[in-house]
Amino acid sequence: MASSLTVANVDAGYAAVRVLEDVSLRVDAGETVALLGTNGNGKSTLMKCIMGIVRPSAGSITATIDGTAHELIGLSTEAIVDLGIAFVPEGRRLFPKQSVLENLQLGAYRPKARAELQRNLDFCFETFPRLKERKGQLAGSMSGGEQQMLALARALMSAPRILLIDEPSVGLAPLLVSRTIDKIKELKEGFDLTVLMAEQNFTQAIRIADRGYVIVHGRIAFEGESAEALNNNDLIREFYLGA
Amino acid sequence: MNAILSGLLLGGFYAAVSIGVAISFGMLDIVNIAHPAFILLGSYAAFIGNTVFGIDPILAAIIAMPLFYLLGMLVYQVYYVAFERRDDQSLRGLSFFFGLLFITEVTLVMIFGVDYRLVQASYIGDKLTLGPLELPFRLLVPFLVSMITVVGLQLFLSRSFLGRAIQAVAQDQLALRLMAANPIRIKRIAFGLSIATAALGGAVLIIIQPVEPSIGREYIGRVFAICVLGGLGSFSGMVIAAVTLGVVETLTATLFGPSWSPAVSFGVLLITLAVRPNGILGR
Repeated sequence: MASSLTVANVDAGYAAVRVLEDVSLRVDAGETVALLGTNGNGKSTLMKCIMGIVRPSAGSITATIDGTAHELIGLSTEAIVDLGIAFVPEGRRLFPKQSVLENLQLGAYRPKARAELQRNLDFCFETFPRLKERKGQLAGSMSGGEQQMLALARALMSAPRILLIDEPSVGLAPLLVSRTIDKIKELKEGFDLTVLMAEQNFTQAIRIADRGYVIVHGRIAFEGESAEALNNNDLIREFYLGA
Repeated sequence: MNAILSGLLLGGFYAAVSIGVAISFGMLDIVNIAHPAFILLGSYAAFIGNTVFGIDPILAAIIAMPLFYLLGMLVYQVYYVAFERRDDQSLRGLSFFFGLLFITEVTLVMIFGVDYRLVQASYIGDKLTLGPLELPFRLLVPFLVSMITVVGLQLFLSRSFLGRAIQAVAQDQLALRLMAANPIRIKRIAFGLSIATAALGGAVLIIIQPVEPSIGREYIGRVFAICVLGGLGSFSGMVIAAVTLGVVETLTATLFGPSWSPAVSFGVLLITLAVRPNGILGR
């Protein structure tokens, strides 16, 4: 069954500062969509609006989970996660004093995910053998790359239909960035997910994205219907490639 | 030899009165200094059950536990609305619990007076003799009750989804929301459990010694010392610390006189923290 996400005409901000203006985007079932833009353009705020962490002042956000549509604005973060939307936040937000295994078990807190705990755990350990080796270690004592893997795996333990990832590459060495991006693709296929990924590393994100949006100063500046369209866009050249 | 043994049993009793604080202070970051007052409330619940209805004090405590659980949830809700939500819990929250301690104490004085109260049970006064070892039931029963509670709670916290969420709630509330759990609900349940253990703690206290309303104050320092010594968030560390303190206090009392034992136990705390700043089993 198909799961998709639609953001329509969303305005949002913090106090007097307006961060998003009339933002619309859609992620169709089974797609990987990249939300591109440099720091401070509103990528994270949009992610937080979808997850109910920041409340938009206008617009609508609709998620269709396995054929049923839900309006997300007004729902609490935990209710949104419970629908089947998982979020890997910026900074990963692991539980540093809990072990790797305990972090993964907490990922399966959602009632629907509890029955599938063992199966999803096996899958995560298969995809990330490193996590299996370190399952007793405290999450806070692992390296940045390992923490990013754990954050991804923990989000998948909730058996989501839609996965949102905020800046998976931040703070990682170049080699780890491309490895993380590859893993996202692998997990997306393994779990049959719909993915929205915010990323400032254009070249890496575009490797696995079906489509993409470029966000500049809180507005969608360009909508690329394919990876090539994004690659050949003047705006991208201006913002990323400095040409 | 018998001093070590009774110290061991005394340690078990200390663990019983510290479990609640190990949850509220160790896992939820709530400095509930009123916990000894709830323990005394538990003692008087056991006292009423014993004198009015003629039932065993432990049984009376078990019957009172659901009420204590609800009381704990209520206290947390007030604390949350008045302090935690406004993000100024540290000092004002402390005065809230300090006030709660005095209100409970004064209420108990007004109802029961300042006389020492005690309970009757068939096993109090008897002892189990194993060769040269003497195990008074007055200490053995609290020890067993305490160990059963600790093991039961430990299993609940490490094996159930709710228990794991309780262990994680103080570390990152937003992250817990992203696991589809409501952190306020989790904390309310955990605080309810913490106060429910005070019913049992109170029953074992009144089995060990007669109580009067202000006796709880004697335990504030000791209970928090045990939790810090063991390592916050670790039940097994808390039990080791409680038993260590029990043995050290009993030995000091036997060898140098009872007035030295608080000094020695806090000495143990200072030395341990100098060597292991996170406590014996702290993470």
